[in-house]
Amino acid sequence: MRIPSAFLLVALLLLACVGFALTTGQYHISLETLWKVLAAKFAGCAPNEDLATPAMVLWSVRLPRVLMAILAGAALSVGGVVFQGIMKNPLVSPSFLGVTHGAVFGASLAIIFLGKSAISIESSAFFWAVAAVAIVYAIGGRGINTLTTLVIAGVIVSTFFMAASSFLKYIADPNEQLPAIVFWTMGGLNNVLWTQVIRAMAIIVIGIGVILTFRGKLNLLALGDEEALSMGVNVKVMRILFMLFATLIVAAGSSSCGIIMWVDLIVAHIARLIVGPDHGKLVPFSALLGALFLLSTDTVVRLLPGGEIPISIVTSFIGAPLLGYLLMKQNNAWKA
Amino acid sequence: MRPGDEALTAEALCFNYREREILRKVSFQVNHGELCGLLGPNGSGKTTLLKCLNGLLSPRSGRVTVQGREIAKLPREEIARRIAVVPQELNIVFAFSVLQMVLMAGSVRFGLAGIPKMKDRHQATEVLEELNIQHLAPRRYNELSGGEKQMVLIARALFQGTGILLLDEPTSHLDFKRQHTVLECIRRITLEKGLTTIMTLHDPNAAGVYCDRLIMLNQGRVRYQGLRDEVFHVESLESTYDMKIHMGRTDSGASYVTPVYEI
Repeated sequence: MRIPSAFLLVALLLLACVGFALTTGQYHISLETLWKVLAAKFAGCAPNEDLATPAMVLWSVRLPRVLMAILAGAALSVGGVVFQGIMKNPLVSPSFLGVTHGAVFGASLAIIFLGKSAISIESSAFFWAVAAVAIVYAIGGRGINTLTTLVIAGVIVSTFFMAASSFLKYIADPNEQLPAIVFWTMGGLNNVLWTQVIRAMAIIVIGIGVILTFRGKLNLLALGDEEALSMGVNVKVMRILFMLFATLIVAAGSSSCGIIMWVDLIVAHIARLIVGPDHGKLVPFSALLGALFLLSTDTVVRLLPGGEIPISIVTSFIGAPLLGYLLMKQNNAWKA
Repeated sequence: MRPGDEALTAEALCFNYREREILRKVSFQVNHGELCGLLGPNGSGKTTLLKCLNGLLSPRSGRVTVQGREIAKLPREEIARRIAVVPQELNIVFAFSVLQMVLMAGSVRFGLAGIPKMKDRHQATEVLEELNIQHLAPRRYNELSGGEKQMVLIARALFQGTGILLLDEPTSHLDFKRQHTVLECIRRITLEKGLTTIMTLHDPNAAGVYCDRLIMLNQGRVRYQGLRDEVFHVESLESTYDMKIHMGRTDSGASYVTPVYEI
């Protein structure tokens, strides 16, 4: 498939998926009603009585959820592509550098000690996700074999935060706090509020914007430090910049929706198989594909006949076998 | 820059890896338009010297100047506009195509995003055509033979558009024929484009044929340096390689050397 066609196809599928997700659910909204509600909103007038219920469902429930799925999907996927590029390793994901376990620790801390309000969980998860990567960089970001030491430092810090989270689960109240922690770690976009969407959007849009601005330099970083330096890249500055913004967007996505497994790793792989390794195209394409992947998965999760289940269960059920299949089929799946 | 102008100068360079002295007061000057060969046994400091010349390593003392500017004071972008490097070998993880590999070398000219435009693609294709490897453009770099990879790395350095080329053992993984194909290519582009080229070489005969100037290193010190005809002799090579050497002449009068066999 030619690359522009791939962009167009994914963009159209995303658009269709947005339309489907907004109209489908326990309360069905026809496309016509959807159009009327949107038109009334953008015209600045209150919807008439017939449209009051669909408008409420749309504005309070579906639209924030759809937007959050798009934002988180794009953020996690771009984060995956960036981390794989700067670490020169197609099997690395942001979780390798402590983002996930830092976020779990932060969320657990908030659930136990700060009450269970969305903002305290989100802020604490965000703070500790970023702090975990900062600690990883402080430990492993020096010396001549930075890439190897960063991964080792990531394992060390992740293990530490995992142990700390286990301790918090151990002391958590088993009736209320423990289930809340467990559900948070399985991810989910239900109960997403506009305030969360707006906070996440601010960070994710700026973060992806910065990464898009410098995306061509990722190609050089993916060749290695000496190569990048010889071609005029300030490796240290660019690596910190990419790590910082990739961490921020992944932390923003994870802190709002809980841990959503595999999206970062699997979407980066599939995007690379479709448009190739050139980050000029790979970064924007993975953002689109990640948004499509998470929105469609969330819509499936939402419409399951037995009721909604945590999204990480589905993303893992899809992601793990798919990556295994790609590895078996292509031997080196990333070498597309 | 005119032929004979100073292009790259090393002044009393000293470099240590921890306690081990790698370069000891290395000084030389390479002029614009020259093809200079760096000779010396393994561990004599050739690759370290190249990295110091490109500013990838900082010497303990001494300094490198490129076209009159001290390299330690130049930002990486400025160095990349002046010096291109061809590494000994380059193994990459992601499957970039040959055209993408070449295009990346122009990143310093492509602005913040580092994204090439259509005219850059045309220029990159022209460079591949110059080296007669345009047919490789869509191929994956990882799947090329050693000789093809070396030509792609040279094309990449040319596309970087610098006046100075540094090559680290460009023929080390090549068979006899391809060694000479690559060296002829380096010689041709140096002359045609008026470049200043410095390359490390293991084969003194290749250096004797293709280079204008030679620098001979042994244990981090410059043993001999100068124009090829001044320094390409038995005494200098024996002192550089710590071995007995025999020098002969071909039918056309060119000098060649072989080890003195004791078997």
